[in-house]
Amino acid sequence: MKKAIGDNMFAKQWGFERGLELVKQAGFDGIELWLGDVPWFQLSTTDGEVRELRRKVENAGLVVSNVSTGLHWASPLSARDPTVRARATRIVEREIETAVLLGTDAILVVAGLVTEEVPYNEVYQRSVDALRPLGQTAARAGVRIGCENCNAEHRFLMSPREFGQFLDDVHSPAVGIHLDVGNIHDTGFAEQWIEIHGPRITRIHVKDVMKKRGRCGDQSVYTNLFLGDNNWPAIRAALSKVGYDGWLVAEMEARYRHAPDQQFYDTAQAMDRLISGRL
Amino acid sequence: MGITRRGFLGCVAGSLTAGLPLDRPRPVATSPRRVLLDLGEQCALPESLSGYESALAGLGGGASVTHADARAASGCALLIVPAALALRAAAVRAIVTCLGAGATVIIESGAGFATDRDFAAHRVALRDHLRLYIEAPLGLWSAARRSGAIPYVDYTWPSPAQVRDFSRVVPLGRREDERDIIGRVDGRPVALKRRCGRGDLIFLGSPLGPALWAGDAEARRWLFLTVRGARPGG
Repeated sequence: MKKAIGDNMFAKQWGFERGLELVKQAGFDGIELWLGDVPWFQLSTTDGEVRELRRKVENAGLVVSNVSTGLHWASPLSARDPTVRARATRIVEREIETAVLLGTDAILVVAGLVTEEVPYNEVYQRSVDALRPLGQTAARAGVRIGCENCNAEHRFLMSPREFGQFLDDVHSPAVGIHLDVGNIHDTGFAEQWIEIHGPRITRIHVKDVMKKRGRCGDQSVYTNLFLGDNNWPAIRAALSKVGYDGWLVAEMEARYRHAPDQQFYDTAQAMDRLISGRL
Repeated sequence: MGITRRGFLGCVAGSLTAGLPLDRPRPVATSPRRVLLDLGEQCALPESLSGYESALAGLGGGASVTHADARAASGCALLIVPAALALRAAAVRAIVTCLGAGATVIIESGAGFATDRDFAAHRVALRDHLRLYIEAPLGLWSAARRSGAIPYVDYTWPSPAQVRDFSRVVPLGRREDERDIIGRVDGRPVALKRRCGRGDLIFLGSPLGPALWAGDAEARRWLFLTVRGARPGG
């Protein structure tokens, strides 16, 4: 397995190059690029500028692990407004295009967003309908779409079997799951999600979660690896069982208040321990 | 077997909604034709068209989907125009022909999320060809969030039914006759039924198709009862 971390973890004052330097020094193999979440990688970023990002990544001795985005929280594929839906589709298409330019074969998509206003059944149908043609686009580009299990965050596809049914309904080998082992909270166990989805897993986000607390005001429910309630030996065993040998991508919500660069070193070392199985 | 997953689920849901035994699906009627008018680019919500298609399939007999073509629609008992924006001449001809022949015509507005220009075209078409008066689209959820209540559409005809809102509605104008109103959201008139020629014109200012598409049982029941009441056209 290889280790990556998101460029959305970079402190604002660092910029892209300094961030990459730190990622390499900390011991990561790759970088996850967040479309729309960082100033250097926006929807308006041209193909030429994207190629330049790739050059910088490779110059730093890294590769791009995958392309992700948080833009679907504001523009979900499941929106009722056809204009918003069209924008959401365009975001996925741009993720696919940039993945090819960046030399990676996986993107992350938040597939649907259940709200008080847009009910579950609509979100389900609309997300399936949106992902079918996008799966074909991704397949043609040699890219896999990983729908992230955001569970309680998007109030959608809360159980692993339900997620599996959703992927069955989308019915595309190019659409799988970008599994986040922190997002499951108290609704299940990450190791079971790994076992159930096995070959359908495109990438894995790693972070720990304080299951017993839940969200508390503006404090994050997520924490650094090994500080929370995830059963990491069980997760590691499940990864071995299903033969997962792909990218582990660190996604830390809570940031160090001081010495923010230290979080990169600590996270990389924790991921090394996870990969080695010395838990 | 030549049945799609959606078609099968539609049959099951439709049968359950209508209280029919699953092993003996009973068509509403064998001869009256039901036609869905696909307006193409002027259909704002493709899922609405899919919703009516699967729901009608579930009621037995299905429906033929046609592009705006007066001849294809002639002789039908029920013509449904899902998520309409502008109504081009051919679509208007189909609607008017059906109404003149005694059919029931459901025009579902798809203008809730339309641009100002598209809404203006929608309003003019309804006013000029069908003497239907509508007001600008209205967002329901800012008020709903304040009150904490979900803005259901309350239908009073063909039987009382509550169907989930679709975030934005196209309310009927004040010039419409109170006696024709068959549905309201938060007190505002959003659905109407009135005689028009020899037929019945039903206007839905809140799209029903997406609710059918999402499997809403109340929406399916409303459609079933409306379909049952539709008479064969001339």
